[in-house]
Amino acid sequence: MAGDIILGYDGSAGSKAALAVAVSVARAFDAPLSIVFGYEPNPMGGETADYKDKLEKIGDEMVGSAVAAAKKIDSSVRVEALVVPLRPVESLLEAATERSARVIVVGGSGERPIVGAILGSVPHKLLHRSDVPVLVVPAGDE
Amino acid sequence: MAVTTGDVGVSSVPEESSAGKGLKVGALGLVSSLVIGVASTAPAYSLAATLGFVALVVGIQAPAVMLLAFVPMLFIAAAYYYLNRADPDCGTTFTWVTRAIGPKTGWMAGWGILVTDLVVMPNLASIAGSYTFHLFGAHGIANNTTGFWVTSVGVIWIIVMTAICYIGIELSARTQVALLGAEIVILFVFAIIALARVYSGGIAHSVRPSIQWLNPFKIHPIGALSAGMLLAVFIYWGWDTAVTVNEEARDSRRTPGRAALLSTLVLLLIYVVVSFAAQSFHGVGFLTNGNNVNDVLNALGGAVLGGGWGKLLIVCVLTSASSSTQTTILPAARSSLSMAVHKALPKKFADIHPRYLSPGFSTLLFGAVSVVWYVALTLISPNDVLANSILALGFGIAFYYGLTGFACVFYYRKHIFKSFKNFIFIGVAPFLGAAILTVLFVIAIFYYSDPINSSTGDQAWLPFIHFNFTFLHQHFYVKKGLGPPLVLGVGLLLIGVPLMLIWKIRNPTFFQRDREVAETVDAPAPPLTPGVIPVND
Repeated sequence: MAGDIILGYDGSAGSKAALAVAVSVARAFDAPLSIVFGYEPNPMGGETADYKDKLEKIGDEMVGSAVAAAKKIDSSVRVEALVVPLRPVESLLEAATERSARVIVVGGSGERPIVGAILGSVPHKLLHRSDVPVLVVPAGDE
Repeated sequence: MAVTTGDVGVSSVPEESSAGKGLKVGALGLVSSLVIGVASTAPAYSLAATLGFVALVVGIQAPAVMLLAFVPMLFIAAAYYYLNRADPDCGTTFTWVTRAIGPKTGWMAGWGILVTDLVVMPNLASIAGSYTFHLFGAHGIANNTTGFWVTSVGVIWIIVMTAICYIGIELSARTQVALLGAEIVILFVFAIIALARVYSGGIAHSVRPSIQWLNPFKIHPIGALSAGMLLAVFIYWGWDTAVTVNEEARDSRRTPGRAALLSTLVLLLIYVVVSFAAQSFHGVGFLTNGNNVNDVLNALGGAVLGGGWGKLLIVCVLTSASSSTQTTILPAARSSLSMAVHKALPKKFADIHPRYLSPGFSTLLFGAVSVVWYVALTLISPNDVLANSILALGFGIAFYYGLTGFACVFYYRKHIFKSFKNFIFIGVAPFLGAAILTVLFVIAIFYYSDPINSSTGDQAWLPFIHFNFTFLHQHFYVKKGLGPPLVLGVGLLLIGVPLMLIWKIRNPTFFQRDREVAETVDAPAPPLTPGVIPVND
């Protein structure tokens, strides 16, 4: 069992805080760290190709900078970046299954519960649906 | 550094893992393709918006028109299917026409999509506004479809729907299935109860259904037939997503065909059965009378099902309108995003919101323009926003669907005669579909040039226009002004020409492209603009 540490990363303050925690968790377990960015355009709109291309580019840049940031914290940690064309929660669950994840680390959105309920909170959904432990890292004040 | 690009990322999450998780990917694929196709077509809203006007134009032959209008849409769907295979770009017709026919026509096709999406918004908004008040029993307010209250709710509707698309809120697949299922069931229940009550007798002005209602040759004159068709084309608008979206379906090769076939059957059945039921219940006169023509499903719902159950029909028009609004805003924003990516519009249109990842600028701008357009239309044409917008819509749909059909034939011209299957699906069908739509478009121009044929009758626009001429032994004349649907439908398309020329002068890059011909039928085409595909690392 690989037992990857899965980090959901979207460039938000919360996900940056989660990155630091995920690196130290990976170091503690001596486990590889997979940084995941997931997004899927609403299929109700029909064709999406070049929209997806743009999103993929954004995702690549996002995880690219996350990998660099992780290496900067600890260059010995094995880091891999994944851009998954699924909704955020789905992509994390997929990555977790595929990598037999030990834990999924995500940032708390720092939003109020009501707003989270309307917009759909990733940590909230993960807590309900994940088969592996979920670690939610508060954004704190930067 | 082990940065995998998107493609590798995809493959590193293998298909089997999701299939093995009990997600029932295969089953979900068929159902969700079906849901997307039918929900984008929005049957309840389409019927609410058009049934009265179709009856107004062709009388008792409405079901015939409902059936007949499907023919060109089916043919064009073949074009969508094959062009989408070559290039599943979100610019759809814009990209395809640019490749096949050339950048100027392509730009106009893109403009056609945007304009058509814009024209439907006032209709969606005022139906949503009006039915909201019907839901709460405020029928007096609801019937004044251009009044302050309905317009206000309509504006709020557009704002909320734009926000939903901007933020990227999605219903879960299961909720979508439930909502659409309810919509279909309620429509059928409504139709069956209406027909049962007609047969048991005692309903005022009721007419027993006749198979003759399906006979299109009973429609005279030809102008009425084509105007009716142009209206009815709208009820199938969006259906093509059932054909194209399944290229994205995560599973087998069979899903696309099945989903398209199933959604076709569902839609045809709904439209024919409901139009039979609607006009037999109280007769055509009930549908076309001024109080009901705008909101036939509300009027009939109460009469057929009674107050409480009738409300269900109203709710289903509202949920239908909401998915229709979304499937208008999302593709409109993606079309302008695609145009901007290919340098056919300012770069700003391709902006992606960093957090919500939606085409932010395009989405907000489309929402804002829709609100302005909607309010302006209620002020310019206080009697008939619904009628004018729905009658005008057909022009836009015929324009860009027609171009899609021609683009398919053009693009694949080397392959049409290579096999019988090719001949039918990338030759005959797209061409016939496009030809039918072109003919409808042209005849409808003549038909609506006479204001008497639009629902207000005497209201003419642009009264300074008057001329007469003879063409093919037919005498055409415009005494004073044109019908509002013609001015709206064709006028908005024509505004694109100067805009395109201005953009061409200011930013000629896009217009220097050459035409392309497909090298094969099966493989994806090379990217339209080099450098668009991300070149990271």
